[in-house]
Amino acid sequence: MKKNSFRKVEPYIWIAPSIILMAIFILVPIVFVFRMALSDVSKAGLIRGFNGVANFTKVLKSAAFGLVLKNTLVWTVAVVVLSTILGFVLALILNNQFKGRKVARAIVVFPWATTLVIQASVWNFIINTDYGTLNTLLIKLGIIDHAVNWTSTPAIYFNWEIACGIFVTIPFVTFCVLSGLQSIDTTYYEAATVDGANYWQKLFKITLPLVRSSLTVSTVLNIIYVFNSFPIVWTMTKGDPANYTDTLVTYLYKLAFYNGRQGEAAAVSVIGFVILLVCASVYMIYTLRKGDDY
Amino acid sequence: MNETVKKPVSVKKVILRALLYLVVLDVCVITLYPYFAMFCTALKSRAEIFSPHGTILPVHALWSNFIDIWSRAPMARYLLNSILVAGGSTVIAMLCGIPAAYALARMRFKGQTAFLGFVIVSQMFAPVVLLIGIYKVMLTLGLTDSILGLVFINAAFNQAFTIWLLRGTFLGISSEMEQAATIDGCTRLQSMLRVLLPVAAPGIVTTLIFIFINAWNEYTVALCLISTDTNKPLTVGINIFNGYNMIEWQYLFAASIFAIIPVVILFMGIEKNLVSGLASGGVKG
Repeated sequence: MKKNSFRKVEPYIWIAPSIILMAIFILVPIVFVFRMALSDVSKAGLIRGFNGVANFTKVLKSAAFGLVLKNTLVWTVAVVVLSTILGFVLALILNNQFKGRKVARAIVVFPWATTLVIQASVWNFIINTDYGTLNTLLIKLGIIDHAVNWTSTPAIYFNWEIACGIFVTIPFVTFCVLSGLQSIDTTYYEAATVDGANYWQKLFKITLPLVRSSLTVSTVLNIIYVFNSFPIVWTMTKGDPANYTDTLVTYLYKLAFYNGRQGEAAAVSVIGFVILLVCASVYMIYTLRKGDDY
Repeated sequence: MNETVKKPVSVKKVILRALLYLVVLDVCVITLYPYFAMFCTALKSRAEIFSPHGTILPVHALWSNFIDIWSRAPMARYLLNSILVAGGSTVIAMLCGIPAAYALARMRFKGQTAFLGFVIVSQMFAPVVLLIGIYKVMLTLGLTDSILGLVFINAAFNQAFTIWLLRGTFLGISSEMEQAATIDGCTRLQSMLRVLLPVAAPGIVTTLIFIFINAWNEYTVALCLISTDTNKPLTVGINIFNGYNMIEWQYLFAASIFAIIPVVILFMGIEKNLVSGLASGGVKG
């Protein structure tokens, strides 16, 4: 009897350390953020009482928010879509047998392993108008004859940030797809070849359906990571000038820690989370349902 | 795919082959270019970097830049802090994550799905979105501006990955051996420690290296929580060379190379296992 009741409690003892850790450092902060989003918060961060949706209306009414939201969507969609396509193609290429494949795979890992803040610093240096190495390189190669201003407008600068985001996101997609590709039974391809299928038919009828679960994993995780990505934008432009290159996370960082408007920053956090939850669930439900057809 | 029968080499195949090598070469060159630029710049003098006639390779390689950074900034301290943060987070994340992943893989209990659900949803909250809340928690615990605080945050936000990867690893291993050990009189803890963990070692090493890298590369929370210079990890600390008035690119990049190298080496070691782990953790429901 005693042993039986222990068996019932046992699993909870095993998961307890993990639960305690996540409860203190993730769950409690979540509760704080939601509470602050609905409260009047002083500049020093003291909660002065419930004030309904006032923080949300303040955020939604501010002129910058629309722009920031648009930037975030452009940033997330552009980085996730382009890096997924490029990463997928790169995986197909690296899945071929060729000399130096191991070296190529090792090199492709580099951007994934490098901390984003350093990656962003290097890009900032490369595209600098006055002393950047991109200008130097292109002048030496004779492609341009004078230094070009690569960051003449905030919109162009933002595109560079997107390019940097794509650059660092590709390896993750590539390796997720590669793992999917390697688990495909080669007899499928042999049978298709016998039936006279060409390369594109094999790609769309065999490869793509079979790596879809890998692509779903990488896409869902990427939507979350890219949406919440802070270091690239922060290092390259800090969201300046005005809010032209801000995304939700850099915007809320400035609201909270530069402007002392923590209530509004918390409201931005909540808005961001809701958007993310909706997008990720819709994507997951959509792809899982499509997967059931097979 | 795998051609076992030798066919006569067609022109089309040769062209495709050449194209393949060309594309791979391009990808490698583009990927390595930022590192090349970083390394060359780290060897230049300030005057050379800012000279109107730009150079690609350094005219005089100034290896002393790599030595100067240690005296110009508390680099040794940053490095030590990074090791402490990454190492500490890894230990705590594994100590909490292994038993949780074991319970999820080997036991059935009420709330199992809810727990797994929370683990997945917790991934959606990046630390940056919760920074205000995290800051409050840290104030309450007296852990702002402390390395220990960073250790706990990194461990907590890596729980999802730890549990996800380890649960996949454990599920991929048959439980027969453990059952046999239990019949022989081992407790669950003993059978896990002596039977399961040795078999799961490759998956565990992959997971712990991955957490180490994540914590080593973490920037945002450290930027927000740490104000004392000597408590900063490398990712935040090296920005001492990236001042508002002038940027010492040569020092910034020399220091960056120290921050990158250990991680790149570790990463190349686990790359293959990590990805298969990611996929299996997700598929095995």
